[in-house]
Amino acid sequence: MAQGQGRGIFGARQEPGRLARLGLAALVVFGLVVAANPALALEENVYRQFMGIDSRRLIWFLAQMHLFFGAFVLGVPLFAVIIEVVGWNNKDPKFDKLAYEFTSLLSVAYATTAALGGLLAFALFTLYPTFMGYMAGIFKDVMFMYALLFFGETFALYLYYYGWYWLKSDRSFAANLQWVFKVLALLMAGFGLAFAFGFIGPDMRVDTRWFILLLYITPTAVGLWIIRDLKSSHIFIGVLLNVFGTAIMQLANSWAGFMMSPAGVDAEGTLVGTVWQAFENVLATPIAIHRMLGNLAFGGLVAGSYAAVKFLAAKTPEEKAHYDWMGYISNFVAIAALIPLPFAGYYLGREVYSTSAVMGNNMMGGDFSWTFIIQAMLVGSLFIISNYYLWSGMTRIPGAQRYYKFIKYILLALILSFAVWLTPHNLPLSSLEVGEMGGSQYHPMLKFLGLMPAKNAVVNLIILATFFSFLLYRRGNMMDAVSIRDQGKGARITIVVIGLAAIALVAQYAVTMLNMDPGELDLPADRAQYIHMIGYVLVFECMAGLAAIVLALMDRGKLGQVLYLSVTAFNVTLFLGVWGFVVMEKASPVLRNVAVSQFLQLISCLILVTVIDAFLFKRAKSLGPLQWGKMTVRSQYALLLLTFVITMNMGLMGFIRSGLRGDWHIFGVMRDTSEWAYTPSNFVMTQQVSAAVLLFMIGCAFMFWLGGIASRKKED
Amino acid sequence: MTATVARLFSFLLIVLGTYLWIGYSITELTGSGDRTSAAVDISPEGGEVIYWGRGRCFTCHSVGGQGSAVRGPNHGQFGEKFPLPMGARAAERAQERSEKEGEEFTAVDYVVESLASPGAYVVKGYKNEMAVVYAPPISLSLKEIKAVTAYLMSLGGDLDMEAIDTAPGEMTQQFYAKISAAAAAGGGDPGEGAIVYEDNCLDCHSLNGEGGEIGPDLSGISAKGLKFISESILQPVKSLTKGFETYVVFNQDGRQTIGLKTRDDASEIDITTANGDVVTLDKADIKEIKIDDTKSVMPDDLSEAMTVKDYQDILSFLMLQKPKAEE
Repeated sequence: MAQGQGRGIFGARQEPGRLARLGLAALVVFGLVVAANPALALEENVYRQFMGIDSRRLIWFLAQMHLFFGAFVLGVPLFAVIIEVVGWNNKDPKFDKLAYEFTSLLSVAYATTAALGGLLAFALFTLYPTFMGYMAGIFKDVMFMYALLFFGETFALYLYYYGWYWLKSDRSFAANLQWVFKVLALLMAGFGLAFAFGFIGPDMRVDTRWFILLLYITPTAVGLWIIRDLKSSHIFIGVLLNVFGTAIMQLANSWAGFMMSPAGVDAEGTLVGTVWQAFENVLATPIAIHRMLGNLAFGGLVAGSYAAVKFLAAKTPEEKAHYDWMGYISNFVAIAALIPLPFAGYYLGREVYSTSAVMGNNMMGGDFSWTFIIQAMLVGSLFIISNYYLWSGMTRIPGAQRYYKFIKYILLALILSFAVWLTPHNLPLSSLEVGEMGGSQYHPMLKFLGLMPAKNAVVNLIILATFFSFLLYRRGNMMDAVSIRDQGKGARITIVVIGLAAIALVAQYAVTMLNMDPGELDLPADRAQYIHMIGYVLVFECMAGLAAIVLALMDRGKLGQVLYLSVTAFNVTLFLGVWGFVVMEKASPVLRNVAVSQFLQLISCLILVTVIDAFLFKRAKSLGPLQWGKMTVRSQYALLLLTFVITMNMGLMGFIRSGLRGDWHIFGVMRDTSEWAYTPSNFVMTQQVSAAVLLFMIGCAFMFWLGGIASRKKED
Repeated sequence: MTATVARLFSFLLIVLGTYLWIGYSITELTGSGDRTSAAVDISPEGGEVIYWGRGRCFTCHSVGGQGSAVRGPNHGQFGEKFPLPMGARAAERAQERSEKEGEEFTAVDYVVESLASPGAYVVKGYKNEMAVVYAPPISLSLKEIKAVTAYLMSLGGDLDMEAIDTAPGEMTQQFYAKISAAAAAGGGDPGEGAIVYEDNCLDCHSLNGEGGEIGPDLSGISAKGLKFISESILQPVKSLTKGFETYVVFNQDGRQTIGLKTRDDASEIDITTANGDVVTLDKADIKEIKIDDTKSVMPDDLSEAMTVKDYQDILSFLMLQKPKAEE
């Protein structure tokens, strides 16, 4: 083993371990404090201060820092394992090296997250003793489980990182041992099936069930199934690391969710139900889904910024090439997570409205309406900058100049969509301005762009445009499409099976829409037409999907892609965009079905078009080797800007999520009677978030610097 | 490397500076954050603090050019649509309401009704979507609602503090009673509670002559107090009503039937089970019959089946079921 390997980026084994132990010690004390406090919901709230600092802002800052580092620690292992699997499958050591390099960033971040978590717990218990006593009384079992999972994650992380070279052998295990793992995998799969069909936990919410099934049970079963040598065992440890990390996040999210949508307790806060009910409150899983995707995008971009910094400081063309490639992979992972993120956000928002219309109104039309305008600016920037980075990347691809002509149209679509997304429904106007607009606070035309149907339409267009950029990037280096017919049965069967599965996603919802009784949405029978129309659109989409599959099988794959992309763009953006307004006027509860149908069509399109593209350009003749490292400095700043923007956005979203409770610690159950129980202004939010972002970036720079020391030591 | 890092942090500071500038500009445009008010007096000034503060009225309403929300009607004089401010408009709306209902509504009655029962007389062109202000999460007290009423009446109307506070008219008093009942029940919404009642209770309990007879009649139930009602919902076995005891009947062949005894004659008895089935048993076949005070026919899992809001809503609805005078 080379010097430094297995020692971590400190080059000294004991340092990260010591920090992690500090974090653990903090957690243990936290656990003891938790155990010592009974539920205190009915007592008068006690608030304390530390050195005269505003306690709310202190907690806010610590929580934000903990979440930044935590998101990085949860996001990076996700794609480190994916990249390791790709390298393992393709037997390409380049990917393995990259995965290791990503993982090397984790060690310090993990210890820092634990230390910040301990600090946050101490601050909460000392500054908000009544509130935390109550939370501990309700969630004491969950909190102990949290601490145990933390141990699991610690061991998995250090085994994954330090065992990288120890567990690299691909010499097969004995057949009997392999069978043991296969049997365990089958048992896990059987458990998963029983769980999926509701034989276990029959009363569980659908979203919680699928979250657990897809993120815990399935990866564990697949991880066990692939074990055949030391390297695949290492991958399995990586899977376990992600399972532990995700579970920790889910437990913590249940507390945040409970504070917004308490369950299992009565109006006075007494637990009248079960701890599971409190845990599985309405918002717990929607928050977890949103955070999961956000963490993946965030982890990708922070790792991308590492690559950008290294690229900018690189001295040799080889170094530049490596870090350029690393930046590309990071950005790719981030975009993959960013694409479904708006839908996860929509789902979370919908559940917030379901929990409380007051909270929902406050979010979209009250205190936070302008915060959402800032959020739209940030998210729009993320997509535009990601696209810019892809377009910059095309300069290193011989042959990609053929597609430059499309960039201006994509940019136009992105800017127009961005503008619509930014347009608020109503503007704070002076009386004079209102008079000039005919006595209304709504602009006669722009008012429509501020409504949900317009927002949904442009979000879909932004995603389609980004996907189109990626397609151009992908095929930039390929000479001509190859024949799918000549690729044998395997290719055809794959296209048909995956294509039909994608179409089935749309078809099942078409059936639902065509059979839905308006009464289910408290609508009169004559409103059925508004629901059925969605069904007809979906049937049309399915037909286009089938035509795309047939065309692909007839070696007219490009035409199939154009057809399906065009129909989807028309359906989700133009038709349903406009139809959404009709629905809003005549049958507003159907609006959420419109949004779901848009999402399903988009996902189906992305899946089918990607599969066709994969075979269309499989082993297509290259127009020359990719010139990794031939990237502009500007593009690296774009990568850094993406990291800054997503970090600011995470801080902003945290402010909204937490602020929605207004002056309640636990919405509707425990009121915040402190002097800080008010919604701060957007300026205060940007100050607070900026300070946290700055400190986090300094922390990242420190981590990257340590990484540099480790690499130098390795080279020595 | 140092120069690279210095350039990157300068870049970061520019980005953060832009972010701060956006936050500052928007705050300048929309106003700063609101601090929660301390306890307020029943006065227009106190009401104004609540209106723009913890009452959260400003999230849907504006007052003239103050505020930017348009979800609900503007409470000031504003354009052609709102030629009169709220106080003066209330008198006009009360007049309309009186003609429509055939009952005398004063301006104060109208404003209080809008707060206590917002769906009763919705302004044309607006949705019936106003939150119940005395229910969580807003949870205004009666005193705070009186203060907001005073504030709204002071906007161009005849402010009569006696009619609002010390000597309210009969109709306003009824609304105040409703708000007090809701507040006593943790701030539930009786209107929503009526729906929860229909969905969960009506099949077994009767109320004012309507509903099932498996459980006790709930007309006038508020006289038994909040604690009793609350306990009856959450732990029905702890508060069994006389005449509604749970019987356990063992047949000669070992079969067991559990439920209410709803008929008892010389040769037969009827036992109505928890799901409403009536089982007729021949007395000759009965080996043993006894009252089991550890069981109730009423479902004991209502605390799991209902949300916290449902629970609060139904409590507030049941607290409104006052005994009739002759009772």
